[in-house]
Amino acid sequence: MPGDEQFKQEVLRLAGQEVLTCIQCGTCSASCPTARLMNPSIRRLIKLCLEGKKEEATQNETLWLCTSCLLCTVRCPRGIRPKAVVSALKDIAEREGQRSKDAAYEQSFLKQIKDYGRIAELALTAEFLLVFPQGAVQSMQMGLELLPKGKIDLKIEKIKGRDEVKRIVEELRKK
Amino acid sequence: MKLAYYPGCVSQSTGKEMDASTRAVSTALGIELEELEDWNCCGATHVSNELVATGLAARNMAQTDLPIMTACSICYSNLRAAAQRLEETETLEKVNAVLDRKYSSARVRHALDVILEGLNEGDERIVVPLNGLLVAPYYGCLLTRPAGLYSPEFPTILEKLIKRLQAEPVDFRLKTFCCGGPIFMPKEKAADDIAFKILTEAKKAGAEVIVTVCPLCHLMLDAKQKVLEQKHGVRIGIPVLYVTQLAGIALGLGPEELGLFMNSVSPMAMMEKVYAMLSE
Repeated sequence: MPGDEQFKQEVLRLAGQEVLTCIQCGTCSASCPTARLMNPSIRRLIKLCLEGKKEEATQNETLWLCTSCLLCTVRCPRGIRPKAVVSALKDIAEREGQRSKDAAYEQSFLKQIKDYGRIAELALTAEFLLVFPQGAVQSMQMGLELLPKGKIDLKIEKIKGRDEVKRIVEELRKK
Repeated sequence: MKLAYYPGCVSQSTGKEMDASTRAVSTALGIELEELEDWNCCGATHVSNELVATGLAARNMAQTDLPIMTACSICYSNLRAAAQRLEETETLEKVNAVLDRKYSSARVRHALDVILEGLNEGDERIVVPLNGLLVAPYYGCLLTRPAGLYSPEFPTILEKLIKRLQAEPVDFRLKTFCCGGPIFMPKEKAADDIAFKILTEAKKAGAEVIVTVCPLCHLMLDAKQKVLEQKHGVRIGIPVLYVTQLAGIALGLGPEELGLFMNSVSPMAMMEKVYAMLSE
């Protein structure tokens, strides 16, 4: 089956043309703090993109195990930014309406920025728990730790420049 | 010296002590902070589209002509990465097309660098020298990445500051290893395992305190420490301080000003030791 050329080009546009120079050395995978949980590995993920295998590249747990630590990026001998490839794949998956608890967390995050200009951690957590009730135990533990310390803010701060921020999120995404 | 200050979203919640100690230490060092007007979220590690992330950072940076200081490594990394991308004309034009105040250039600084610059060797304002307190310098990932000012894997600036406060940095193998924080909500176990590894390693290295430069690292190592202890049935009990808190202690600032009562693992035993050495 021929690869999806359009998908490949979109990844290159978002993550950089240098992705084409990948030699599959695996330095990225060897550097990744969550590599042992990833399938496909970050090295293989890049190969899937270059082969235009859209479904395999966008529908996996690997994307959501990336901690954005950038160790792959500072180590890649070809100057490729593997984390930017992950971000590109998430962006493509989100635009196409992929639904998962992990995607939901990112969507809630972006929606808060769009609506308020800032993140209100409590509201973000509440919204996430609606799609992932299993997270409640952890959230309760954190809440019990943080609340007595005065570190949970109940009010939502809204900035004045919300229209501008909304424009940044919506219009720049199309470019 | 006057700097624009970007507190970041956590300054209003889980990172209140980061914000309080940053302001207190700045005042003590004679640095005037002007809070960035109507600042917005930098997107943290959760905005996948790079151009959107760049735009969010650019809006913040366009609010001032002063150098911008932040105590959060995530904000710092995002602003720096955006400033790098905005050097390309095409990116700059696309971003400026949607901004009210146009971006031209910016200098972004982390509080760590500002404090180190503000303190001389044997500075007389260090009224509580930390006399050999064993400190694990924990950089996490984003202070030094993307590459630029510091070595992304072997930075030394934290050790320099620790020594200037007259404490002793321990040799900490995992100092630039990620804390797992960005995925702690949807991928709890994966993140917890990483944080536990870092805490265990710090303990093995003999640290009496861990110092952090990022509110997410701090959350994972401090606020989660008790849960991690219970999960693994071991006692860790290492206080985790923001670099601004550690510097503040040495500058003789009080626990209230530095938000030390907001830390989950109490640093009070460590403080007592420091003060006891002072009276010897």
